[in-house]
Amino acid sequence: MSTDNKRELLIAEIPRLRRYAIALLRDRVAADDLVQDVVLRALDRLHLWRDGTNMRTWLFTIMHNLHANDMRRLSRTADTQPLDAAALSHGTPPEQESAVELSQLSNAIAGLPTAQRQVLLLVGLEGFSYADAAEALDVPVGTVMSRLSRTREDLRRTLDGENVSQIRRIK
Amino acid sequence: MSDRQIDEGELHALVDGELDPARQAEVEAWLSENSDAAGRVARYRAQNAGLHALFDGVLNEDLPPVIVDALAGRRQWLPRSAAIAAGVALLLSGAVAGWVVRGEVPFGAGAAVQIAEATPPIDTQELMVRAAMAHEVIGDDDLHLAVSEDDNSIGQYVSTRMGTKVRVPQLASLGYRLVGSRILPDTGGPAAQFVFEEAGGARVTLYVRSEAARGVDITYALADDLSMFYWNDSQYSYALVRELEDETGRDALLKAAKAVYRQISE
Repeated sequence: MSTDNKRELLIAEIPRLRRYAIALLRDRVAADDLVQDVVLRALDRLHLWRDGTNMRTWLFTIMHNLHANDMRRLSRTADTQPLDAAALSHGTPPEQESAVELSQLSNAIAGLPTAQRQVLLLVGLEGFSYADAAEALDVPVGTVMSRLSRTREDLRRTLDGENVSQIRRIK
Repeated sequence: MSDRQIDEGELHALVDGELDPARQAEVEAWLSENSDAAGRVARYRAQNAGLHALFDGVLNEDLPPVIVDALAGRRQWLPRSAAIAAGVALLLSGAVAGWVVRGEVPFGAGAAVQIAEATPPIDTQELMVRAAMAHEVIGDDDLHLAVSEDDNSIGQYVSTRMGTKVRVPQLASLGYRLVGSRILPDTGGPAAQFVFEEAGGARVTLYVRSEAARGVDITYALADDLSMFYWNDSQYSYALVRELEDETGRDALLKAAKAVYRQISE
């Protein structure tokens, strides 16, 4: 495959890289900053990408490595601010999802540890298979599955008001 | 129905389409008789739908300028990278922490000096970190330095590498000998470091980097063990750096900064 063709494949993945980075970091400037680094590094190493392998998984692996480096370097990681759900969503959300529910979901995701948020977003939002998520995050498939189970159940309990720390639902 | 038990993981695998068709049918059949588990599966699916409702809008956005630049091989300096650079600098020197503005920085009578804000703008922080790192790491290294008896040839060398004319500051009358100059990599392209030496042997370095004008006047900043005056003109930003000194030394450094400013920036 020519360099131009590889480049086209890379460019086609950028919207997904941005969607994931924004959901993960919950800060648009920081997310685009991270994606910028992914793009620069990927362009630099395009010759290392092997034809026939998954470009998307490769790019998300690069992003995960860069993000992991950031976390190591920054001794203090300012914790994420809950994003305003209305500011994120464009167009009309599905009817069953009210703005309030979306906002609750957004806040609940913000409260997740990074490792849990990564798995939830890769599989639930980006549609990665368990195997691809394991490759991108450099963990065993079993870890992806157990983290995913725990994260979704934690979220469900939080959103259903079953967690002790959450405000009790008024009947 | 299969005799095999359904575990929690399989409920998620169902949501994610990871089950083979035969097992999927079994799990679905089991769910039709287990409303509690079926309710959880519905909630997990709703979480996925919620994620898409929250974030899919991003897919339709135009690429922001920073990404367009990246595709052209150009890097922009944004807060995340600046924070990381600052972190790296801290690791390297341990000294560039807290460009604090101590409310009372003593200056000689009549010297009106602007003092750095506690949290300067990102590009200023970047200048500070770069200049301080360059001073600490290689300020006293004479091996990799362009040296000449003739200031003009040093100016020629720096100007060629920087891509535009850079004048060599003349500070001999103030007691600073030009040791030499070097070109350093910086995010916006090459940067220059001029190395001066005082009669007592202390080094003073002037860091010059390309930067869009922001009209910063000569400003004083103080690190744990470094003193710095910085400013910029329409083309470059500058930082004159020296080890922390007493009041008299600071006044001398300010004089030098003003001299450089007059010669280069005015």
